[in-house]
Amino acid sequence: MGLAVKIQDLRKSFGGFEALKGVNFEVDEAEIFGLIGPNGAGKTTTLRILGTLIRPTSGQAEVFGHDVVKDANAVRVILSYLPEDAGAYQYLNGEEYLRFMAGFYAHEKTALEEMVQAGRDISGLGDRLRDRVNDYSRGMKRRLLIARALMIKPKLTILDEPTSGLDVIQAYHVRGMIKDYAKRMGVTMLVSSHNMLEVEYLCDRVALINEGVIIAEGTPTQIKTRYNAVNLEQAFMEATQLG
Amino acid sequence: MGSFTSIVYKEIKELVRDPKILFGVVLLPLLLYPLMGQGIQISQQAVETSIKGAKFSIYSDDAGTIANILVQYIKTNNTVLTIEASSLQDALIKFKDSDSVALVYIPNGYSQNITEGLKGNVKIYGNLKNLNLAEASSSEVAGSLVNVYNYYYSLSLIKSLLTDSEQTGSPVAIHDPIRLSFASIIKGNVIEVSPSQITSLIVSQSIMLPIMVMMMVIFAIQMAATSIALEKEQKTLETLMTLPVGRLTILAGKLTGSVVIAIAGSISYMIGFSYYTSSAFSFAPQVTSVDMSGAGIGIQPMGYALLGLVMFVTLVSALALAISLAVFTDSVRSAQSLTGVLIVPLIIPAMILMFSDIEMLPQTIQWVLLAIPYTHTMLATKAALLGNYWIIVRSIGYISVFTVVVLWAAAKIFSTERIITSRFTNLTFRKRKKQSS
Ligand SMILES: Nc1ncnc2c1ncn2[C@@H]1O[C@H](COP(=O)(O)OP(=O)(O)OP(=O)(O)O)[C@@H](O)[C@H]1O
Ligand SMILES: [Mg+2]
Repeated sequence: MGLAVKIQDLRKSFGGFEALKGVNFEVDEAEIFGLIGPNGAGKTTTLRILGTLIRPTSGQAEVFGHDVVKDANAVRVILSYLPEDAGAYQYLNGEEYLRFMAGFYAHEKTALEEMVQAGRDISGLGDRLRDRVNDYSRGMKRRLLIARALMIKPKLTILDEPTSGLDVIQAYHVRGMIKDYAKRMGVTMLVSSHNMLEVEYLCDRVALINEGVIIAEGTPTQIKTRYNAVNLEQAFMEATQLG
Repeated sequence: MGSFTSIVYKEIKELVRDPKILFGVVLLPLLLYPLMGQGIQISQQAVETSIKGAKFSIYSDDAGTIANILVQYIKTNNTVLTIEASSLQDALIKFKDSDSVALVYIPNGYSQNITEGLKGNVKIYGNLKNLNLAEASSSEVAGSLVNVYNYYYSLSLIKSLLTDSEQTGSPVAIHDPIRLSFASIIKGNVIEVSPSQITSLIVSQSIMLPIMVMMMVIFAIQMAATSIALEKEQKTLETLMTLPVGRLTILAGKLTGSVVIAIAGSISYMIGFSYYTSSAFSFAPQVTSVDMSGAGIGIQPMGYALLGLVMFVTLVSALALAISLAVFTDSVRSAQSLTGVLIVPLIIPAMILMFSDIEMLPQTIQWVLLAIPYTHTMLATKAALLGNYWIIVRSIGYISVFTVVVLWAAAKIFSTERIITSRFTNLTFRKRKKQSS
């Protein structure tokens, strides 16, 4: 199996502040990879570089062999990115939103309709898709956005904190939606979170990031045994003390 | 559908569905002009009716017949309250508390003076309780009643003098030997309307037009700033930028969408404006009786077309400017306060041009004003009224050059990552922190 993501000594500075201090990790094809860490650890910065939104100060990042800086357009075709705390256009309805976004990928009618139908199914919003996004709850909005991200059948899906700001029930649904889709389609996902339990449930492999560096990497079980912890939360605490 | 058209289509859909934008850019100019016209008409009518219904008081110290004739004359022409008082002092106190607005006072000796061929005195007191226009005008009405009486009385005197001296002649001509009339020459055409009537018409327009331009541009700026800030706040711009679509396509799509709305705004501006000018001309009744457009004063179709074009380039530049600024912010509120700065270069020329003509200002101030693109928009409206098309073409040229520069800057901004990373609110916060440490 090939490599979906390859990050080597990635650095990023904002003004004088170094947000990433040499990040290294790899994501295999068809796995769900979790990037976990506290606020300000550098998760969003890493994902934005992969999403071609910002350029690294130094180091390399590749998505399926395409360099995110030199080959940004090729990366954009195969990637789907859900920003942290994203919303949708409030004056469009859910259906219109899916159709608008699908238009950038599907250029003929049948392909477009197929894509929109996939979006409808993944969202599970049914008739509510005909209501304006403005009237949606946070949970419904998130489901619409994740459906948008997945309906285009991307080779790599990047979800930045897909359940942040949702209540327990909505977060549970959204997590179920992601896991279910991944199992069915065998897709590659890179998910960030600071909810360790969520990551343990969703991800095949995780990387712990803190203050711009990766402090541990492996399957949840590997990490837990390495730090002799009952869960990832405890492992994280141990790891940061060591680092 | 291509990416560009699909962004434009989405943009228009969003803007049209936003009630604030529909109201501010499209409906407001359509409503405001007729409302302004109506407002002026209504207040003029109110002044007129209150003058007509105004009550006068009369206090006469003179018991002579000649004074009595004047009193009778005024009484037959208006609602009159005759004040009985022992002295002028006393009469003024009674008048002050009455609901009449003007007191006609005939002092003792009026009849005597006139009988002796001297001038008789009459004095009018205006009661300015509310300090409004109607009160002041009412004492004018009382004055003109006396003047009318004065005129006919004088005619009858002249007539009897003519008969007594057995001479011929018209009493009217003897009273006013000169018949004075005015005409104006505008762009080589003689028009039988006094210069002051024409200038007052143009002055009233030159107050309204800058205000209107200012409001349209402010609305457009707010529209674009809000729309781009919402994209940033909701991270929809961030999402768009990870799609397989060029960043300039995104910018062009956004701008085109706003421009379509702005065109609708310009059209409704022109419709509203033409309605306003047609009703503004009807405010000056003497003027309407003359064909003003024949003299080249009204706006010709060419003028309207150029005006629309001026408004269009103005709006495009304002939109591009607003987008370029708002893209650096991370919330609707900070975008609105940042673009609020743009209101300054709008208000300054509007205020100055409302009260004076650009040619009357000192040379340096003229240059400063002319450097501001929006000054040209305001000048163009007046130029259209006078048919000075080359001024409008110059304005369009200048604003277009400015627009191209702004568009170039916007394109630059859109192709860097700053559009994602810059955060206006954080920026100011960080600066302050640095200064304090
Ligand atoms: N545009 C920016 N300008 C300046 N500093 C930034 C910018 N973006 C991020 N940073 C800083 O870089 C660091 C990493 O930020 P990042 O957003 O990647 O963290 P994160 O792990 O996603 O945190 P969170 O869990 O809060 O989302 C933080 O200290 C942040 O303040
Ligand atoms: Mg983050």
